This record gives sequence, structure tokens and C-alpha cells, in this order.
Amino acid sequence: MPSTIHVAEYLDLDVDAERWRCHSCGHDVGDARENYKRGLLIHERDPGEVHPPLIDGEFTFAPNPEWIRILEFYCPGCGRQVETEYLPPGHPITHDTEIDLDSLKRKLASGELHIDEHGKLEVTA
Amino acid sequence: MSYPSLAEKLAALKVSEPTEYERSCLESVNAGDYEIGVQRTADILDEGYEVFMRSSRSQMGVAGDSIVAIFNAQGDLVNASAGTYLHAVIPPIVIKYILKNFRENPGIADGDIWYTNDALYGGIHNPDQVAIMPVFFEGELVAWTAALSHTTETGACEPGGMPVSAKSRFDEGMNLPPMKIGHDHVLRHDVIEMFAAFGLRSEVSVTVDLRARCTTADRVRVRLLEMFAREGKDFVTGLFRRMLIEAEQGARKRLASWPDGVYRCATFSDSAGTEHGLMRNCFMTMTKRDDTLHLDFTGTSPENGSSYNAHPQAVIGHLANYIYEYVFHDLPISSATFQPIDFEFPPNSMLSPAPNAATSCAVMAATGAMSSIANCVGRARFGTTEWRQVTASLGNGGNASVLAGVSQWGMPFADMLAYTINTEGQGARSHSDGINAYGFPWCAFGRAPDVENMENELPMLVPFSQHWPDSGGAGKHRGGVGTAQLWVAHHAPYVIFMSIADNSIVQTPQPLFGGYTMPTCPGLSMEGVDIPELLRAGEEGTLDLASLLAGKYGGQIVSETYARTARPVMGDQVITLGISTGGAGYGDPLDRDPQAVEKDVTDGLISDWSATDVYAVRFNERTGRVDPQATAAARRDVLAERKARGKTWDEFHEGWSRRKPPEEVLGLYGSWPDGAVVNPLMRM
Repeated sequence: MPSTIHVAEYLDLDVDAERWRCHSCGHDVGDARENYKRGLLIHERDPGEVHPPLIDGEFTFAPNPEWIRILEFYCPGCGRQVETEYLPPGHPITHDTEIDLDSLKRKLASGELHIDEHGKLEVTA
Repeated sequence: MSYPSLAEKLAALKVSEPTEYERSCLESVNAGDYEIGVQRTADILDEGYEVFMRSSRSQMGVAGDSIVAIFNAQGDLVNASAGTYLHAVIPPIVIKYILKNFRENPGIADGDIWYTNDALYGGIHNPDQVAIMPVFFEGELVAWTAALSHTTETGACEPGGMPVSAKSRFDEGMNLPPMKIGHDHVLRHDVIEMFAAFGLRSEVSVTVDLRARCTTADRVRVRLLEMFAREGKDFVTGLFRRMLIEAEQGARKRLASWPDGVYRCATFSDSAGTEHGLMRNCFMTMTKRDDTLHLDFTGTSPENGSSYNAHPQAVIGHLANYIYEYVFHDLPISSATFQPIDFEFPPNSMLSPAPNAATSCAVMAATGAMSSIANCVGRARFGTTEWRQVTASLGNGGNASVLAGVSQWGMPFADMLAYTINTEGQGARSHSDGINAYGFPWCAFGRAPDVENMENELPMLVPFSQHWPDSGGAGKHRGGVGTAQLWVAHHAPYVIFMSIADNSIVQTPQPLFGGYTMPTCPGLSMEGVDIPELLRAGEEGTLDLASLLAGKYGGQIVSETYARTARPVMGDQVITLGISTGGAGYGDPLDRDPQAVEKDVTDGLISDWSATDVYAVRFNERTGRVDPQATAAARRDVLAERKARGKTWDEFHEGWSRRKPPEEVLGLYGSWPDGAVVNPLMRM
């Protein structure tokens, strides 16, 4: 029975080993009880590098770089851009996914949930 | 006053306990008959929705930004037809309030028409208005019906019902608590006159839309009575209760498959009415446990002294927009689907303000909640067999503009221009791009009005409407693009213009799984443009956004925030450039099929710059087609550059954690970075 869930576009959750892994290259991203972003590389960008100004003036179609920055999170193994987050400078990085591993293991063990052949969770009929 | 407390509002959202009679009626609803009965309610509601659109006068009403609903005798929402899911969950607050407070005086009787538009009592904001009718069968209250839609004028301090300069609810014009405006099936003439007086700027649309709500609620009432007479009271009563039971079971079953855990999203905005400042307009903590959800908004910025606040039930209504479009899309629109969901709102936040707060732009205050729910649910759901329903956030810009004045037909008018808001881009989907100009995130089934209709109804010309290149967030799957539409005052000496939105300095929606969000939206006007030349180019089809911004038609572009207070624009001058946001992007742009990038360039959906600099696609200079080898090499280079420049968590935080936005932009934010109330707000 599979024990890995394809939990985000570029992230697998190895339930038995309690590890995050890159879905693209299998790189071990870290402890699944921690924020997966701790195991990724981080790069800060001026939003104008992605959304260039189209006109002159104060309001230009580009976000104001003093108000907001783009944080890019890369897989250290393959360089895949696993996540992006638009944050004011200095704002704490969001712990966006905190899966209850104990509950998950309990429900898988009891058969309440199972992981299908594509790595997706499903309620057992 | 006895307006309901937050606890009472949240309790009213929960389905009432079935009575002994209802339990006994459940036995009379057999399989087969149940499905037919459910469909019958849907048919009645769809007829009501059609009647509603055809009876309305305002641009929003004609566009279908409305909902028609059926409730059981206790006021639980049984089913609805939309329109906008914005109003799907919260009307039970109003009906249960009427049942609790007005049963004896003035009494609830057959033929009553009840009405409210006051968010303090359970609505979204005061332009959103509802007519409610009790349904009496053989002398007994057996159900309720309602018809809700947005009106275009409330008699506020600015035209259009959503004044950006309002400081408290006392600047917002008409606010009616639940009250009886008709009896014996007749709408009172003195009440119509009151609406005409508050709606003086746009009397016809206000009074016609008022009648449309009442007409629609009554049509549904009549059809329900036919159903009661044909099928029997026991059956219909049992049907309604079973619909509630099945809807709740369906919702719980869906939630049960998601992994238990905590999911979070922080979103930001840049303005409260006319005041600019950074706000954390939503900090959502979604806890999923077994078959329940708990949504906690602690960490959202404090309430502010503008109209960009939303009462809690209005926030819940905004969540319904996403939840019914993507999560419970196959379940009845029912109180019971929200039964497993609980909420927590921090007091005196912009999502739970004081009673005297201005909230007429609640739809702006709630964009963060709309965006965050897409993000949190997407993260909870991707690891399940429902992953194909995961999307990045819709545009959620709500770049609404209002025109007012005297039309070319000599009629006073104030109306919202429905094209821009009804042509936002859909968020990129987990399996494909978002739909371009898909619609209105507040009203998935709303329709962009025809240009000919706009030009006929309003004193203006529309030289061009087109997709806005690069407005969809980049990604493996691109956010759907929004639109640009130019408006020129015409056939009138002047018009009054105002506009309602933030997102000119920062964008609220977060992207998903490595995509980018959409660009910001400035408020643009143009002074001294060669209008005849511009109109000729429009006729020839050569007028487009790029040439306009490049100054091809002369004059000067004036760039402000999208939200602008009411101002006159003289005839035959550019009113503004209406732009609607695209949807957020999904996945790493380097994973986007290069052929799709080429097609996007060809179709004018992205720029050459984006193709090369964001998607790292290389083209054959001779043929203009994708060069697969050069593209693969370029993408390998970008991947290597990322690994070289990326910092570890600890390295990154050495510098990042010491930084902060400029103090002068944090006046609306609350404490940094937690968004807690720092100074209590005083309103006059």
C-alpha cells in the first residue's frame, strides 16, 4: 500500500518516514512536522521584476517594492519553484500547511482513509 | 435597539432542530419522489431568477447579480438559484430575527412583504437589499421566500451606494432594519416614495428594482403554494427537512477526505477608502478536523475609519462565493452545507467592526477572505482525489466604477458599470489555465453587459473592450486574463464618476504552488486626448491598450489609485480606463508548455517580455516559433541560477527579520506584524 501522498504540486508527504520530499526530483525537503519552507531555498525579488511598470508615475501596474516583496522558494535539488509568497518586507513567512500526522496515520491504519495509486487520499467506501 | 450580536448571528446560521412533525414527515419522502421534489424546488427558483433579471432595471440587476431562495418555516435556507452565492448563507439571520422579534408586533401574516438592507442585522452592505415573504398554506406558516440583489443608489454621501469617502454608517444613506413594507400582497406606496427619496439620484432603477425583488419573492411563493397543494404539506415539509439533512451529510463527507491539519494564508491590501496604507486584510487560520472546518480570522488588521470594513456575516457570505463554486458545487445552496463550519472573528478588526462602522464597501474589505479561502482549501484538498477542483485565487479585484448624472434620455441615473467587474480572470486551475474574462468573483453567473446596451442606457461611448495582456498571474497554468475597456462621456454636458477598489499598490490574492499573482491596477484618466482620432481608431479596430498607454492619441495619462471619490467629467472627455484583474497563477512558470506560451503571445494574452523573461521561452528569430532546444537550455540555466542565488532559511532570516515597511504606511495595519488593535477607533 502506498505511503506517499502527492500533497502539493511540487511536494510529496512520505507518511511513514514523516518527511517532505520534492515531487519533481525526490529531494528530502525535511521533517514533515516542520514548515516545509525551512527545507527550501529562498530568494527575495522586487515585484517589478515580474510585473514591470507600464507607465510613469506613482501607480504603474507594478506593486510598490517598499510595501511588498516576492519571496520565491526553490527546491535545493532541482531548482523547481515550489512556492511563492507576496509579503511586506520583514513579515513572517507563512506556515501554510501543517498536516496532523498523528491523525493521518491513525485514519490510514484504521482504513478510514486510503492512498490511491496516484498518491491521493480518499475516504474508504 | 436589538440588532443581533455576533453570537446570535452565528447561531442563526446553524440549522434549526427538526420538530416532531418534521421528523414524522420525513417518512413520506421516498427515494425517487425526493429527487423529483429537489428538482422541483430548483425549477421554481430558476423561474424566479429569470423573472428577477427581466424585472430589474439597474445594470447589476440585469446582469443577474442576485439570488432567489426558499427557506423552511424556521428560516433555514433550503435551496437557492444564483446569481451570486454572496447571499447564499446569511438570509436566515434576518428571517430568524423577524421570527424572534416581530411575531407579535407587527405580526407575521400571509401577504407580508419584509425588507432589509442593513448589514448590522445580517446583510452584506446596504446596497444589497432583500425582499422576504412568508408562505402561508391553509393558514399556517410553512416556508419563506427571498429575492436579493444589489441596488445602485442608497442616498449616501456619494452616488452609487458604495461611497469610498464614508467615515461611519451615518454617511451611507438608507439603512433599513428588517421591516414590513407591504401587507395583503401589496407594496405600500408611502414606502415606495421613501425609496424614491433616498434614491433621488436614480429613482427609476431604485424603485423598479425594489418592485423586482418583491415580484420575484412573490412568484416563488405562489409556485411553492402550488407545490404544497399538489404534493401535500407533509411531503413538502419532509422534503425540505430531508434536503437539509442530505446537504449536511454531503458537506461532511466531502470535508472528511481532506487531511486533518492547520492551513494558513496572509493577504494584504493598500487602502481604506481614500486613505492609503498597508493592511493585512485577512489572516486566515483554517483548522480541518474530521468532517469540520474552523475558520479563525485573528491577525486581521483593525477596523478603520472608512467604509472598507465588513461585518462578520458579510465575510461568511464572501466565503460562500468560493465554497459554492468550487467545494460544494454539487450540493444544494443550503444552510446545512455550512453546518460543519465554525468561525472566529477578532473584535474591532476590519472583519468584525463596531456597530457604527461604515461598511458599504464591505466587498472590498472581504477580498482577502475570498482569496485566502481559495488558498487554504487548495492546500487542504490537493492531496485528495478532489485535486482537480483546486485553483489559485480568482482576481477578486472588484474594480467597480459608478456613473451618475442625467442620461441622454433626460433621466437622473446612478449606476455601476458592470462590464469591468463581470470580466475578471479566473484563477489558474490545477490542470489548466484560468478562463479569460471569466466573470465576477462575487457572482459567477453574472453577465458582462453588451456595449450597445451600455451606450444606450448611459451617456457614454465605449471605443474598445479587449483582453488585458499579462493581467493573468504567470505559472505552469496561467491565471485567466482580465479586460480593459475605455469610457468616453457623450450625449451629456457632464457625468459624475467615482470608482471603488484598492489593489493599486499591492495585490491581495496570493498565488498557488509557485505561480505569480496578477499586476496591480492603477486608476487611469486621460487629459487632452484626441477623442475624434481615438474614436476613428476604435471603429477601425486599431485602438488597443498598448497604443493608448504609449500616448498614441496624445494628451496626458493621469495615474491615481483605482478608488477615486466622486468628480465631474465633461462631455466628450475620457472618463477612465476600466480594467479588471486577472486571476492568480499556479505552478512554476518554467513548467508551462512552451507551445502554450507561444499561443498566448499570438493571442495577445501575454507580452513578448513575459514569454522570454518570466517563462524563459526562446523563439526562432526567422520563423517566430518556439525554439525547443534553446528554450530547454534557457530553462536549465534559470534552474541553476535559482539554486545558486537561493538562501537557506537561516541565511535568509538574518536580513529579512530585521526589516519592516516604512512607518508611514503602517497607520492602518495595527501592531506589526500581528495586526492587533493598537489604538481604539473613534467615530463621530
